[in-house]
Amino acid sequence: MDVIDQLNAVKRGKLSRRAFQQSLLGLGIGVMATPFMPSRAMAQGDQGTLFTWGGYDVPDLFGAYEAKNGALPNFAVFGGAEDALTRLRGGFVADVVHPCNADLIRWVDSGYFQPIDTSRLSNWDDVMPELAAMAGNKSETGAPWMVPFDWGGTSVTYRTDLVELEGEESWDILWDERYAGQIGMLASGGDAWWSAAIKVGVPFDQINTDDAFERISAALREQRPLVRVYTDDVTTLGQALSSGELVAAMTWNSTAVELQYEEIPVRFAQPKEGALTWVCGLMMHRDAPNPERAYEIIDAMLSVEAGEFMIGAYGYGHSNRKSFETFTDEELQGLGLSANPKEILDAGHFSIPQGQEWESRMNETYELIKAGF
Amino acid sequence: MSPALVVLIIGILVPFIILISLSMWTRDGFGFDMTPTFENYQRVGTEPIFSTLLARSFWISGIATFFTVLLCYPMAYYVAFHVHRNKMLWIVLMTLPFWTSYLLRVFAWRVILGYEGVINSAFLSMGWIQAPLEFLLYSQTAVIITLAHAWAAFAILPLYVSLEKIDKSLLEAATDLGDGPVRRFLRITLPLSLPGVISACFLIFIPTTGDYITPALLGGPDGVMIGNLIQLQFGPVNNWPMGAALSIVLMLWIGALALVFLFITRKAKDRLA
Repeated sequence: MDVIDQLNAVKRGKLSRRAFQQSLLGLGIGVMATPFMPSRAMAQGDQGTLFTWGGYDVPDLFGAYEAKNGALPNFAVFGGAEDALTRLRGGFVADVVHPCNADLIRWVDSGYFQPIDTSRLSNWDDVMPELAAMAGNKSETGAPWMVPFDWGGTSVTYRTDLVELEGEESWDILWDERYAGQIGMLASGGDAWWSAAIKVGVPFDQINTDDAFERISAALREQRPLVRVYTDDVTTLGQALSSGELVAAMTWNSTAVELQYEEIPVRFAQPKEGALTWVCGLMMHRDAPNPERAYEIIDAMLSVEAGEFMIGAYGYGHSNRKSFETFTDEELQGLGLSANPKEILDAGHFSIPQGQEWESRMNETYELIKAGF
Repeated sequence: MSPALVVLIIGILVPFIILISLSMWTRDGFGFDMTPTFENYQRVGTEPIFSTLLARSFWISGIATFFTVLLCYPMAYYVAFHVHRNKMLWIVLMTLPFWTSYLLRVFAWRVILGYEGVINSAFLSMGWIQAPLEFLLYSQTAVIITLAHAWAAFAILPLYVSLEKIDKSLLEAATDLGDGPVRRFLRITLPLSLPGVISACFLIFIPTTGDYITPALLGGPDGVMIGNLIQLQFGPVNNWPMGAALSIVLMLWIGALALVFLFITRKAKDRLA
């Protein structure tokens, strides 16, 4: 982008956010910070950077990487995928990023990513092909944009000793007025909005209609007085469930599994309406400063050791089919998993990627509701 | 051009102009439509969420400011009038807790106010309460308590400086002329320390109004403040122009309130003197 382009953009009255960022740089704000950046990267021993969800910044997932490079990758953590994308648009560069299936198409369209050369991944042959075949994952060359890594569900984790079920397990637990002030919710619309759609019975292929918008927001509005906290911090939700401050919360698999290890009586519900299911994966930044390390990060995360940790410690599904071999069918069932991911993913509701307009509108509405409007 | 002017232009004027022009654009997918419009400001004026959160932010930070100054005044007073040796050491010791990171202190309050926190466990074990007090965390109370503590250092220092400057012979004169301790405080000490009180109020009120991390960690659904809303505009809501407009409106409101406050304190000072 040179000055002429910039001026033309201004003349036309259109300026993309990237162009705007670049003008900021030109104005000297970025310039001030640049001299410090290379030295910082050097100080960190030239490791690759992984931009991921909280809870994935643990050594257990990067055994192979650590063995080779003598250190862990650098981590940057986000609470929701939409937040992560905004930060990337704001100029943040990481080697590898960890979004999910619902984000894939919009993320690819943003132009920040490059297809992944699977021949450089020693574990690629063991990756379940049905996961890699998600919608929008094939680039022009046939190489995937995203390497699937983990899969699981969003559902209700509830205290079996404190919640009295009325019939089957259901999303209604989170709308039960008996537990006003003891309900926890995920703050990211990517989970809450879709789960509310399941609860009110909106089919996912109609989620972008105005009628669906109204019904879903009405349900979330109705729930708001019952909610004690909206957060994306799984530790906060886990601790609150274990102390009894919350009796039920919308969570991912790992919260329930970790609490069960601490012998807290909780269950990860299998709601009669179906859970929300997802597949997340690893994408490589177009300008990855350290592509060599990027491939090593991805390969380490696809390894069997990483997979066994994901399944055993967090209760998430992994994309490497060999990871499941050390677990018996009963163990997997107890975790709500199966060596055949299709079984689980088909039993739940798999979110359908939406356009940017919808995504912004949905997030805006959910934020209004959370604030009480 | 002097270097100071250059710094001023690059560091303050240019970003401010960017902020103002950004606030008059509109979101267009992930880019901007640069046709100038006041639509964002109209929305701030008409949609209830903005006025409610603005009012709540001023309310919370006003109360926090009041309590901070009220609690810090006696401390500063004590050091200024009753400590005669190593005054600096006293001041350093008083501000020592504030040398840790702001985020850490906010987190510490979570531990104190939490459901199984210090206060609740203590009260439970003493049998004063049967179930943990839930209003302590995730409430406006929690935000006010945390802000009042976290900003204390910013009140102690200006209060101490203005109290320390008071000419002690004035106090002796007042006593000689028959004033008791209370009247002496009201007629001499308080009016002369007002500049410190005013600057302490400003130093705390202005940054706490836009505070983001305390309400995010301790506020719960009803403790959300305007700073959180601005952050959301630049994050998931993806409406930067709206965020810019909100920041400017907040700035204007703080400016207006500060002027009113200055006016009132000046009147009060005239009265006292």
